[in-house]
Amino acid sequence: MRRILIIDDEDDIREVAALSLEATAGWQIFTANSGATGIEIAATEQPDAILMDVMMPSVDGPTTFRIMQKNPIVAHIPVLLLTAKVQGVDQRRFAGLGVNGILFKPFDPLTLAQQISDILGWNDDASEPPPSTLST
Amino acid sequence: MNKQTEAKVDNLIAELWQRHLPNLRERLDLLDRTAAEASSGALAEALRAEALSIAHKMAGNLGMFGYPKGSEIASEIEHILKAPTQESLLRLSPLTVQLRKTLAPGL
Repeated sequence: MRRILIIDDEDDIREVAALSLEATAGWQIFTANSGATGIEIAATEQPDAILMDVMMPSVDGPTTFRIMQKNPIVAHIPVLLLTAKVQGVDQRRFAGLGVNGILFKPFDPLTLAQQISDILGWNDDASEPPPSTLST
Repeated sequence: MNKQTEAKVDNLIAELWQRHLPNLRERLDLLDRTAAEASSGALAEALRAEALSIAHKMAGNLGMFGYPKGSEIASEIEHILKAPTQESLLRLSPLTVQLRKTLAPGL
């Protein structure tokens, strides 16, 4: 079972994303309403991926990502940014951060899990552990 | 994805929509106040900033609840509030009316 951390200050975004990933893919979901809390949960739960909002009060998504990259406990976890911005300049700026992908709001709750799987190259079999945890 | 899962997700999202309705109504009221102040030519900076944040959030979430047109209108409002001009601010009022009409079936 995939384990996903959703970081977003908006209650409804967190709730819709969580219920859609649980219901459509059977994934286990953790949520955080700020970057700081998200980093703490990421460190303790070691999710397979993080879905993180760009615009958050206090510490925004890109800043949270940069903080995570300096922390070896969480730096290896794939991060997908969630943004309502669609301008090309924003896409290039976010891609330049080194995140694993960008998802746009509003997303389709029925296809969100598939979008995440496609970006991260996960197999359709969601019960298979992610490549980083495979033993050799 | 089977029909049962689709129906389950649809039902859960409908429940969430109902739960968030009071918040949505407050946000619509705030956008109405913003449009009214903008039309009178005296939009306070604090209200503009708050409305900008609200419009951004609505642009990001209305489509998830089955109102893609609502997201488009909110995005247009956000665009206006981000770099307002005397002329563009006058478009807020018809846009907020249009937004309420679009969301009317769920309000």
